[in-house]
Amino acid sequence: MAHILYVEDELEIGGWVTRDLTGRGYQVTWLTSGEGAEQYASRADIAVLDVMLPGLDGFSVGKRLKKEAPDLPVLMLSARSSVEDKIEGLGFADDYLTKPFHPDELAARIEVLLRRAQRFEDVLELRHLNVYVKAGRIVDTRNQQEIVLTGKQYHLFQYFLKNLNRILTKEQIYEAVWGEPYIEGDKTLMVHIRHLREKLEIDPAKPEIIETIRGIGYRVRR
Amino acid sequence: MKRRLFRSLQAKYMLIIFMALFLMQISYLLIAIVLSIGIDLYGKGSTGAADMPSAGEIEAKWHADAARLTGGSAQEVRRMFEKWKAEYPGAGMFWVDGEGRLAEQMDVAEELPSVWTAAYTAQFIKSRYGGDPFTVIAFAGGRAAGGFVVIEMPREQFDPPLIKIYNRYGFWLIVGLIAIVLLFILISYLFFRGIRRRLVQLQEAMTIRDVDGLPVQIDVTKDDEIGQLQHSFNRMVVELKESKRREQEEEQLRRELIANLSHDLRTPLTKIRAQAYTLGIHPLTEEGRKAIEAMEQSIVNMDHLIDNLMAYTLLMANKYRQEAKQVDIIRFVKEHLATWYPLFEKEGFEVEVELGAVGHPVWTIDPLWMGRVLDNIYQNVLRHAKQGRYIHVSTEAAKEYDAIVIEDRGTGARPDDQKEPRPGASPSRPDRTGDDGGMSPAGSRSDSKGAGIGLSIVDRMLKGMGLDWDIRMTPGGTTIKVKRMNGRTSE
Repeated sequence: MAHILYVEDELEIGGWVTRDLTGRGYQVTWLTSGEGAEQYASRADIAVLDVMLPGLDGFSVGKRLKKEAPDLPVLMLSARSSVEDKIEGLGFADDYLTKPFHPDELAARIEVLLRRAQRFEDVLELRHLNVYVKAGRIVDTRNQQEIVLTGKQYHLFQYFLKNLNRILTKEQIYEAVWGEPYIEGDKTLMVHIRHLREKLEIDPAKPEIIETIRGIGYRVRR
Repeated sequence: MKRRLFRSLQAKYMLIIFMALFLMQISYLLIAIVLSIGIDLYGKGSTGAADMPSAGEIEAKWHADAARLTGGSAQEVRRMFEKWKAEYPGAGMFWVDGEGRLAEQMDVAEELPSVWTAAYTAQFIKSRYGGDPFTVIAFAGGRAAGGFVVIEMPREQFDPPLIKIYNRYGFWLIVGLIAIVLLFILISYLFFRGIRRRLVQLQEAMTIRDVDGLPVQIDVTKDDEIGQLQHSFNRMVVELKESKRREQEEEQLRRELIANLSHDLRTPLTKIRAQAYTLGIHPLTEEGRKAIEAMEQSIVNMDHLIDNLMAYTLLMANKYRQEAKQVDIIRFVKEHLATWYPLFEKEGFEVEVELGAVGHPVWTIDPLWMGRVLDNIYQNVLRHAKQGRYIHVSTEAAKEYDAIVIEDRGTGARPDDQKEPRPGASPSRPDRTGDDGGMSPAGSRSDSKGAGIGLSIVDRMLKGMGLDWDIRMTPGGTTIKVKRMNGRTSE
């Protein structure tokens, strides 16, 4: 169970968010000010911080937390929506969500951050696949066979998993996995995706794991 | 006051002029003094030549002394010659006796014949008449039988001393005068070169900019007119910095105000959403469910309206920061659309993407601004083209422009929907069929309010980035083209 450190001075909003996240299976520690937040830095899996707090503001609390635990994902949750505030927040935080947010969006972002920080659950269920992310194993649940990927296929799939539910353009994928600028018309990525689908999909002609978003790119959706 | 007068450039220049005039006067005075001293010295050094008698006096005296010769002996003539030589050292003398023989001579410059014929004598007299040297011929003893004695003296010995001095020192006098004039020119040149150098340094210093884009203060080394100018410039820099600081403070206050306003509006909105969400998870009647959905939609609309109002306020005050970059527009639009795709998908939209090559794929834009422009357009599509459930994002490469084209199948324009500012509505645009850019479908009047400000932001931001755009609304749908005109020189 992931542990969320949540700092919010508005009692109504704090109570609502705490209830909602607890209902989604997270353990939530809710503080109404930033004082003493650092002591949770080592115990928490993620921190969700309001910006305008009594005493220390959310930016300062976030920076202190990052100093204590640099790997701790920090999500700023603020009613301040100006570009300057977002830029300041994203200077150290991993995500910035503005109020009024939808609890589903907050939960989705928390999940993405936990996954990126590899603080997510051991087994990720994707259709007929069980992905053991930390162990780097993929098991086909239909026959309990392990699917073995080549180095490049593994990096490609890892990149999709880190950006689960996100649509990625060909350029973004190629540059992240190959580390080189994408040249329009290059078929390398398509070939690797095809080979990956042949290993992962039940019917590679009708892919369900790696979706094609026509004209934009690809997506792996949970 | 006195100190300032001496530091003044004008005073220095006047000093140079006066110095020049003074030097000229002094030089004339010096010449006069030198001449008078020279005359004195010349007079003394020339053994009485300063008291040189006139030619007539010498002639008369020579005739008188010659007439006094009695015996016509060589000794007597010699004594007379020696006496004259003592008196006129520059003189030459000779005696031709009664037989026409050259009997005596003293310091004669030319070669004389020993026997004087009548013809030679006549020629000698003719050649010396009125010529140089000055020559006097007198009969010895006053008779032709005694022969004649001749004295000759260079005519220059009769010149006034001034002419003699001029002949000797004239060249140096001219050289001295020229030197004085050259000295004046040199001093003037150095004076103006100094002024010019400082002016050039000042001009260069004025062009140096600090990190804040303002000029930096200059070191003032002198307290003359240029120094005063530097002081004035420094005062101006201080005032500029102060003005900039005030402007930044005002900007900061404005941003704080907007941020606080945004916070104060969004916090209760979040609470409303919390309540609505809490209500929504409980069993509700159909009517209750619809009310919750409407409340949710209103919260979303309010959120966007607050965002747009803040952005519009900043844009109107030219305080919305713009940082233009070279951006691959196809890639940018694709990546941006990827973030919107799930929303269109959720609303059941068919999304068609055809982002082909354009003539100039690299646009100079602010990615944040462009992102906001596309956000507003997509937001309007989501709100006002729900019935069509279709969005088509493509590129168009025309001769005059490259464009990003966004089409939907909304049900058409309602010109009277908008009371908000019109996005660049110009009668000269033949392709603008609606007058407001509201993209509002029939039957969604209340929803469309606020779209106007969104499209005003689109208009201002696109124009701010040097881009053009147009909107065409028909009953079959709305097409927005964001254009980069090919005449642009920024890329």
